[in-house]
Amino acid sequence: MSAIGELQRMRKGSRGPLGGGRRDNKAAFVFLAPWFAGLLFITAGPIAASFVLGFTDYNLIQPPTFNGLDNFARMLTDARLHKALGVTLIYVVVSVPLQLGAALGLALLLDKGLRGLAFYRSAFYLPSLLGSSVAVAVLWRQIFGADGLINQLLGIEGRGWISDPDTALWTLIILNVWTFGAPMVIFLAGLRQIPRMYYEAAATDGAGKWTQFRSITIPLLSPIVFFNLVLQIIHAFQSFTQAFVVSGGTGGPSDSTLFYTLYLYQRGFGNFDMGYASALAWLLLVIIAGITAVNFWAAKFWVVYDD
Amino acid sequence: MRRTALAMAAVFALSACGSGGSASQELSKDPVTLRFTWWGADERHKRTQQVIDLFEKKYPNVTVKGEFKDWNGYWESLATTVAANDAPDIIQMDELYLSSYAERGALLDLGTASKYLKTADFDKSALDTGVVKGKQYALPVGLATYAIVANTDLFDKFKIKLPDDSAWSWEDLKKVGDEVSKAGGGKVTGFQSLGFDAGGMNIWIRQAGASLFDESGKVAVPPEVLTSYWTYVRDLAKQGVTPPPSVTIERASASLDQSGTATNTSALATWWNTQLSSLATASGSKLKLLRIPGEAQATSPGAYFKPSMYWSVSSRTQHPAEAALFVDFLANSEEAANIMLTDRGVPANKKIRTAITPKLTETDKAAAEYLDTTKVGPAPRVTPNGASNLEAIIKRHTEEVLFDRQTPEQAATSFIAELQAEIDGA
Repeated sequence: MSAIGELQRMRKGSRGPLGGGRRDNKAAFVFLAPWFAGLLFITAGPIAASFVLGFTDYNLIQPPTFNGLDNFARMLTDARLHKALGVTLIYVVVSVPLQLGAALGLALLLDKGLRGLAFYRSAFYLPSLLGSSVAVAVLWRQIFGADGLINQLLGIEGRGWISDPDTALWTLIILNVWTFGAPMVIFLAGLRQIPRMYYEAAATDGAGKWTQFRSITIPLLSPIVFFNLVLQIIHAFQSFTQAFVVSGGTGGPSDSTLFYTLYLYQRGFGNFDMGYASALAWLLLVIIAGITAVNFWAAKFWVVYDD
Repeated sequence: MRRTALAMAAVFALSACGSGGSASQELSKDPVTLRFTWWGADERHKRTQQVIDLFEKKYPNVTVKGEFKDWNGYWESLATTVAANDAPDIIQMDELYLSSYAERGALLDLGTASKYLKTADFDKSALDTGVVKGKQYALPVGLATYAIVANTDLFDKFKIKLPDDSAWSWEDLKKVGDEVSKAGGGKVTGFQSLGFDAGGMNIWIRQAGASLFDESGKVAVPPEVLTSYWTYVRDLAKQGVTPPPSVTIERASASLDQSGTATNTSALATWWNTQLSSLATASGSKLKLLRIPGEAQATSPGAYFKPSMYWSVSSRTQHPAEAALFVDFLANSEEAANIMLTDRGVPANKKIRTAITPKLTETDKAAAEYLDTTKVGPAPRVTPNGASNLEAIIKRHTEEVLFDRQTPEQAATSFIAELQAEIDGA
C-alpha cells in the first residue's frame, strides 16, 4: 500500500515525494514507462481531441464545426442530462457509504485472526474482480428478473425488479455494495499497520472494545478511510458497464438507471452527437474534480495523520 | 497548446478525408477484399456465409469478409467504424438510420454503380423506399408488414373463439384479450404489449389519417392522436389484457425467444409478418397471422410495406465496382436467394420472390401470402435524419405512462418535443 504512504507523506508535507533521493527515481521511471507511453500515445491524444470537440458540432461522419459554448449552454436545458445527474448522484451517495461500511465491517472481522483468513479474504475479494464485468451484470438481470432467483425465493410473481423504475437503480446499488472487496483489502492492510501496543495500553487503562474502536481504530484508520472514499466516489461516478448491460443500453425503465456515462455514450454513439458528448465528458471531469477537492478540504477536519 | 492544435488538425484531417471519388469504377483483376457487415441471429450468419462462399467461388479474386453482430451493438459499432474512416464496404442498413447516414455523406449513390448493380426486377415503389434526397442510397432487401400473431393452440385450450379479423377494431382486440387473460389466470395474457416499437405507433397514427413525419421531415402527428394511443396502451395494462408493466418491459427488451408469443404466455401479439417462422419454431405452437385491428374503422389504411432492411455501400469504399457486384449478387441471384429464402424478409425483388416460393416452408408461405393479400397505403416517409432513436423514445414514454409517471397527454407533448429537438439538432 505504498500509495497510502505516499498520500500520507504528501498530506504532511514534511517530506516531498522526491525526498528519497535521485537514485530511487530511476527505477520508478523505468516501471512507470509502459504506463506513461500508453498515456502519451493512446490516451493523451483523444483527451486533447475531446476537449476541442467539446466546442464543436460533430456528428462522427462530417468534419466538426465550431459552435462556441453552444454545447455547454444546452446542458442547462437538457432534461435528460439533469435526470442522469440525479440518478448518478443517488447512486454515489447511497452506494459508496454502504459499500465502505460493508468493507470495513468485514475487514474488522477478518482482522481478528480467523483461521483460513487467506481463503475468506479471497472469497470476499472475488466479487470485486467480477463486479464490473458484463457476465455479472447479465447474472444480475437473471437474479432480479420477473422469473429470477429473488422472485422464486420470495414466491413473488408478475413483477420484475430491474424493469420497474422504482427498484431498478437499487439493484445496481446492491451490485456495487457487493463489490466491496477492493476497499476491504485496503482496510485490512490499514488495520495491520495499527500497532498492537496501543490496544494493549488501552486495555490496561480499562477501555472497552467500543472505546478502543472509537479512539484508536477509527482515528488511525482515517487516512485509509479517506483514501477509499476518494477512490470509490470517483469509481462510482464513472460506473457504466452495469447500467449498460442491465438496462440493455437504454438507461431504462423510464431513465431510472441512466448513469451519466451511459447518457454520454448514448449521445455520442447513439445520436451521432459527439461534440455534445465530448462536452459532457469534460463536465463530468469538472464535477469529479470538484467533489474530490471538497473531499480533500473536508479531510482536514476528520482525517488524523499519526507520526 | 501546440499539442492541442496538433490533435485538432488530426481530428479534422481524419474526418475530412476520403469521399471515394477516386476509387475505380471498373472491376479489378487483382485480389480485392470487401468487408460486409450485417446484424442478425445465428441462422442468418450461417446462411449469409454460404452466400459469401458462393460469390467467392464465382469471382475468385474477390474475398468477402463478413462482420456480423447483434442488432443492439450493431449501430454503435457502425458509427464508430464510419467515424474512424474504417467503414465496411457493404452495409446492411435499416430504415431508421438510412437518412442519418445518407444525408451525412456516408453512403454511395448506387445510381453511380448501375453498371454492375441491376434493379430492373424491383417495383418502383419498393426502390423509392431507398431514395433519400433524390438519390438511390440503398436497395431494399425484403418487405414486411405489421401483423397480429395469434396462438391458436391457446385459443383452443381456453375454448375461446378466434376473433374474426376481417373487420375487427382495437376495442374487439381488448375484449377478446380480456377474455383470454381471465381464462389464463395470470399465467397467460390475451395480448403481449403495445407501445414498444415504431411499427405499432405508425399504424395507429396512419389509421387516424395522420402521419408521424411530414414530407419535409418534421414531426407532424397531432398530440391528440398520440394521447389516444397511450391511453389505449395504459388501459390494456390496467385491465390486465397485457401483463404487469414490469413484466412487459422486461420482455420488450429481451430476445424473440423470450417473448410472450415464443413462451406461449400471450395469445395475441404484434409482430412483423416475416417473424412468423422464427416464432413458430420457438413456441412449438400453431400460430396464425391475423389482420391488424382498426383497419375497417380507419380514416385511411394503417398497414404499409416496410423494407425489412437495405443493402448500401460505403461512400469511402476503395472498390465500388466489386461492392456493387456483390450487392447485385445478393439482390438478383437466384442461387443466393435459394439459400437466404425469407430470412431477410419476403424478397422485394419480384422475380426472386416467385422463384423461391416453391421452396418455402409452410409458415414462410403463410407469411408471404399474408404480405401479398394485405391492403396497404403508401409507405411512411423514411425516418428523417436525427430521428434514428425513435424507438427508444417511444419505449421510454410508454414506460412513463405504464408506471403513471406521465399521463398520456403529457407523454404525447413530451414525445413530440423531444423527437423534433433530435431532428433539429442533427
